[in-house]
Amino acid sequence: MSVADVAKSVIKSINNGDTLATVGLGASNFHEGTIKLATVLLGKKLGGIYITTSRPSSHIIRELEDAKANLNDLYFVDLVSMTVGGSTDDARSLYIESPTMLESILLNITLLERRLKSKRRFVMFDSINGLSIYSEPKVLKEFINVLANSMRIKSIYSMLMTVKEQTGEDLSAALELLSDAVIGD
Amino acid sequence: MAKDDVTTPISLDPRGGRPREKCVTYIEGIDRILNGGLPVGNIILLAGTVGSGKTTLAMEFLINGAKNGETCCYISVTEPSSKMLSNLQTYGFFDDSLVKEGKLNIFDLTVINDRLGVERLDGTYTAKDMEALLGAFEDIVDELGVTRLVVDSITAVCYQLPDKGSIRNFIFRLSQFLSTFGCTTMLISETVVDSNVQTYSIFGVEEAVADGVVLMGNIVRQGDLLRSLQVVKMRGTKHSRARHLIELTPVGLAVVPLLKWGQDGGQAFT
Repeated sequence: MSVADVAKSVIKSINNGDTLATVGLGASNFHEGTIKLATVLLGKKLGGIYITTSRPSSHIIRELEDAKANLNDLYFVDLVSMTVGGSTDDARSLYIESPTMLESILLNITLLERRLKSKRRFVMFDSINGLSIYSEPKVLKEFINVLANSMRIKSIYSMLMTVKEQTGEDLSAALELLSDAVIGD
Repeated sequence: MAKDDVTTPISLDPRGGRPREKCVTYIEGIDRILNGGLPVGNIILLAGTVGSGKTTLAMEFLINGAKNGETCCYISVTEPSSKMLSNLQTYGFFDDSLVKEGKLNIFDLTVINDRLGVERLDGTYTAKDMEALLGAFEDIVDELGVTRLVVDSITAVCYQLPDKGSIRNFIFRLSQFLSTFGCTTMLISETVVDSNVQTYSIFGVEEAVADGVVLMGNIVRQGDLLRSLQVVKMRGTKHSRARHLIELTPVGLAVVPLLKWGQDGGQAFT
């Protein structure tokens, strides 16, 4: 499935009233795909929270700026920069000290939600696989379950991004069970 | 079944009855855990290990009350009030006009002791000293109209009392008049963890007299320290007994349920 088709399916899913989607992309175009997808949603006047577990938010901001995305109502929860000693001074980002502090993600989403101006909102979780480096499968599944249901209660459209090649059957089944839609590869 | 029977909502509080008036903490997540807040006039033992966030939580409880027009008081036992005030400036939720307007009052126990003439060279209060101290606390609460009080820490006060009976008597008498004045109080208790078990107090007496016990601690997760909070006991309200994660954010403390982390893997108390 091309990134453009993935974006169309996501828009359709939002219009269908879904609240939670698992969005799978291949490793070769994963980063490019997430940037394109975020750019499309921001272009549709949605406000968003971008949770990054694999790249520093400063890096993603640069790529979004290059893609001419509208960043007026986009905020970040960054689990990478503090861990690697990167820049932690962007006012749009909240930084988490360690990727083991999974509960902090939920807490920071709640804080950033208050800053969002747009009525239509999304959360992009990039990526579920990034967390699996630090957390055991059973812990990851517990977290996904809590995250998914928290987002459902908040009625914010949430995309759990997964890298096709890194997502095993067990994790895929857990994600499918929780999601309203499974989009992409 | 009659229509009324169908539409009457089921009470979530299994105890039924009429709820007590609540002292809202305005701390993200804590009022939800406490089913709306702390029962007014309760004496709560805020027990925790070093660095677990006891003072920050207690201070935010006072500041939020002061911002909502209540008169609040902090009695500092372990550090000078000037040092406490300068630490307060580092909190985003602090507003120093609250101190200037008399909504947030900070007292040094050593200064109170000096004025009462109860400071002993051996560090132990006599029965007369204890009466004088209780009288001073009562005067502060009564004269200022204090509705939220924090004693930081009750452990340091207890060290100056001669025995467990005196500690029990002191806290019981304190709770009696504070409850009469409708003053919701947090007594900070310094605790330790021994063989992975955390106690509620050093002397083992304070928790029995208090109306509520809130336990704070540190959890080691794969080498990282996380702060936790759990309401163990709270007379006068239904409350959660689950363990929660507590974090200091730019807008104050916030609490979220703690992941079970696969029951045991990689987590321990310190």
